[in-house]
Amino acid sequence: MSDFAVEPSSHMSVILDLTPAQWYLSSLPKNEYPLSFRSFLSQTLAFLNSHLASKHENTLAVYGALPGKSVILYSSTDSSVGQDETVADANSYQPFKTVDSVVASQITDELDALGDSDEEAPCQLVGALTKALCHINRIMNPNFTTGASDAPQPTREPRIIILSVSPDLSTSYIPIMNSIFSAQKLKVTIDVCKIFGPDAVFLQQAAHLTGGSYIYLERRDAYLQHLMMTFLSPRSVRGILAVPTQEKIDFRAACFCHKTIVDIGFVCSVCLSIFCQPVPVCSTCRTKFPMKTLQRLNASRPSFPPQPVVRSMSAARTPTTSTPPGTRTPSVSNHHADRTTSISSSASAKVNGSSSVAVGNGMTP
Amino acid sequence: MPSKLTAGSFAPHQLLPFLQQQSQGSLTRLYQRPSSCLSIFRLLSPLERQLVMNMLWLESPIPSSTMSAWVNKDGKKLYDAALSSLSQIHIISNPLSKLNLNPTFKSSLRQAITGGGEHRSFGVPSEKDEKRGPTTVESLDAYAVERWETILHYMVTSGTGQAPTKPSQGVLYLLQRSGLMATIGGGSLQITSAGFQFLLHSPHTQLWDLLLQYLHMAEERQMDLVEVLSFLFMLSTMELGRDYSTENLSETQKAMLEDLRDYGLIWQRKASSRRFNPTRLATTLTSSLPPLPSSSRSGSASQAQGFIILETNYRLYAYTDNPLQTAVLNLFVTLKSRFPNMVVGSITRESVKKALANGITADQIISYLTTHAHPQMRKNTPLLPVTVQDQIRLWELEKNRLKSQEGYLYTAFASQADYEFVLKYAKQLNVVLWENGAKRSFFGSMEGHANIRGFIERRTGAGG
Repeated sequence: MSDFAVEPSSHMSVILDLTPAQWYLSSLPKNEYPLSFRSFLSQTLAFLNSHLASKHENTLAVYGALPGKSVILYSSTDSSVGQDETVADANSYQPFKTVDSVVASQITDELDALGDSDEEAPCQLVGALTKALCHINRIMNPNFTTGASDAPQPTREPRIIILSVSPDLSTSYIPIMNSIFSAQKLKVTIDVCKIFGPDAVFLQQAAHLTGGSYIYLERRDAYLQHLMMTFLSPRSVRGILAVPTQEKIDFRAACFCHKTIVDIGFVCSVCLSIFCQPVPVCSTCRTKFPMKTLQRLNASRPSFPPQPVVRSMSAARTPTTSTPPGTRTPSVSNHHADRTTSISSSASAKVNGSSSVAVGNGMTP
Repeated sequence: MPSKLTAGSFAPHQLLPFLQQQSQGSLTRLYQRPSSCLSIFRLLSPLERQLVMNMLWLESPIPSSTMSAWVNKDGKKLYDAALSSLSQIHIISNPLSKLNLNPTFKSSLRQAITGGGEHRSFGVPSEKDEKRGPTTVESLDAYAVERWETILHYMVTSGTGQAPTKPSQGVLYLLQRSGLMATIGGGSLQITSAGFQFLLHSPHTQLWDLLLQYLHMAEERQMDLVEVLSFLFMLSTMELGRDYSTENLSETQKAMLEDLRDYGLIWQRKASSRRFNPTRLATTLTSSLPPLPSSSRSGSASQAQGFIILETNYRLYAYTDNPLQTAVLNLFVTLKSRFPNMVVGSITRESVKKALANGITADQIISYLTTHAHPQMRKNTPLLPVTVQDQIRLWELEKNRLKSQEGYLYTAFASQADYEFVLKYAKQLNVVLWENGAKRSFFGSMEGHANIRGFIERRTGAGG
């Protein structure tokens, strides 16, 4: 009869990608399954209501990632956000009605406020993601400073769902990676539904590293059904009902110097910063590399233009930040010769023709 | 509701067995109202809810094989159980070949989620009352607590000679009908052992226990069960602190207003008032939030956080000034002294034996102490002192020292050989409970008697 051995309530943060240009492209009838923003919004709202319907205590927060800014559109835990006094009516459940009207009106306000110049700005997905993480941190640790935190709290299962339409922004590689690490620490699952546009490399990694699922929506006429079957279930149910996870993940990283996604990168042996070409001085930790090494590395770079990017590679491959074991050996043998930073591409990647970041490890100066 | 966190399986809600007994026709009538569908949906287990949601937006039936492809190997059992329990309350039509939601349920739940329609099942809000201000949540909470504690307090003090405020006749009848209280020897109402056990349950379980009894009673009173259930479900989807109008209610539901007012689920300014407010007891019916506000009379949130400190020397300190909580503690604790904000007592053999005699079990005492333990106690592992827990269980075992069994005593055998021969036969049948060679007698259980008698008769018949 204990009161706290009950099914945990779950918290869901949803990030809507509100880039007008991408939504225009998505609604064009030349697409196989055009999806307009209006129909996207109504299906998403039905999904949000289904989450609230599942359990009385479930909480919800909705964020919008707009060009140049990110906003919170709705939060069921914080009554100060966009709570307008909706008139009650007998035909709808009040919490659902509040979500629908608040989210719709906030989106309209935000999109109206966008100027022509703003629309060129990149989509602030990272801003929305970090806001969502901060919010989750707050509701997971209420009254952290006061002594009341030892009161029994029903464990929530927090998760973040990103509904993305815009392509990867390579400048946001580092902040996204940092968000992923904090999500891992908070035990937050990040689910990604890629509705339109090319596969998002960083979001794939986000879903993979936090145990969520990444779905590239091909049948966009079945958007709501995808949401229901894949993203509605809390973590406890996912142990029973299998949800699709991606088989192949693109683990490529972006370089720190030009923020481009690289197939072959050069890694500083001291701080592990990634560069797209050999540099004499690491821009992050100011380590100087000898001239001889640079020349050798430049000589070893493939002269042929980079092969067309293979969209994904096997999930079993080592992530970029770890060093393939085979590449470590030459640098050890060079230990006394000079302060070499040897960077070589991994043999396996060359042989099977797929592109990958080849990480070599050098000596510490 | 005793729920355990075991791989997505939770004890089903108390109401579901009742719904399973209803006919398909009346359930379908119930499913016509979106608010009922939403509330029933919330009472389902997590897996059942996910299955319903998977099928909610499909237009055509889905083959069972497609759906079961989503299930992991470990989850097969849970999945089958979920499907069968869904079909028992007629949410799924036929779980054999193709899965499909009950069309009425499907369209109503869709309507609940997307809004719209003209069903008016979420309660008609009343016009703003110009003369009086809006009803505050605090006053509603105070009313609900007062009503609910009156009922419990009446139960706990019955037969102790005190005269607490009596709840209304309707409540008394319900308590008697549900077997929680009974008239003993034509006198006043006395709490029964079921009633004692009831007192130690969580408020949420208590509430549903009473409402289930109310539903059974409604059946006998020839009330329309669909109306009764849908009114309860409508209350559970209403908003706390909002006024609702009685105009749209059916006659049955208007009659229910009075009963529910007595239980503290509904507040009305006057009995003839045309508006009513659901209290927290009503709006949390389908959730696991505490149905009573956390702070009742004391300023701190004592009830939600727990208030009992139990020491290894059996002394118990309870930080409460609530007479009901004190009275419940008095069921199994010898109270020694009382202060403005706390009571001190100790758990003794006599006090526990008294509780056991009332029909309370040791596990119930321990679970009550665990549930209401003070936050300070939660730092201990295990939470309650092991010595006290073990002793309470030992005291319960003491009660079970004697075990009675019916049987026959076989005695006055003519010779030792005779005795041993019969005893050997009885031992082969495995019916001997006790034997004494010196007195040439043994005791056999009831079921072996016919065989043993036949054996003895055959022997004496053959011998003589």
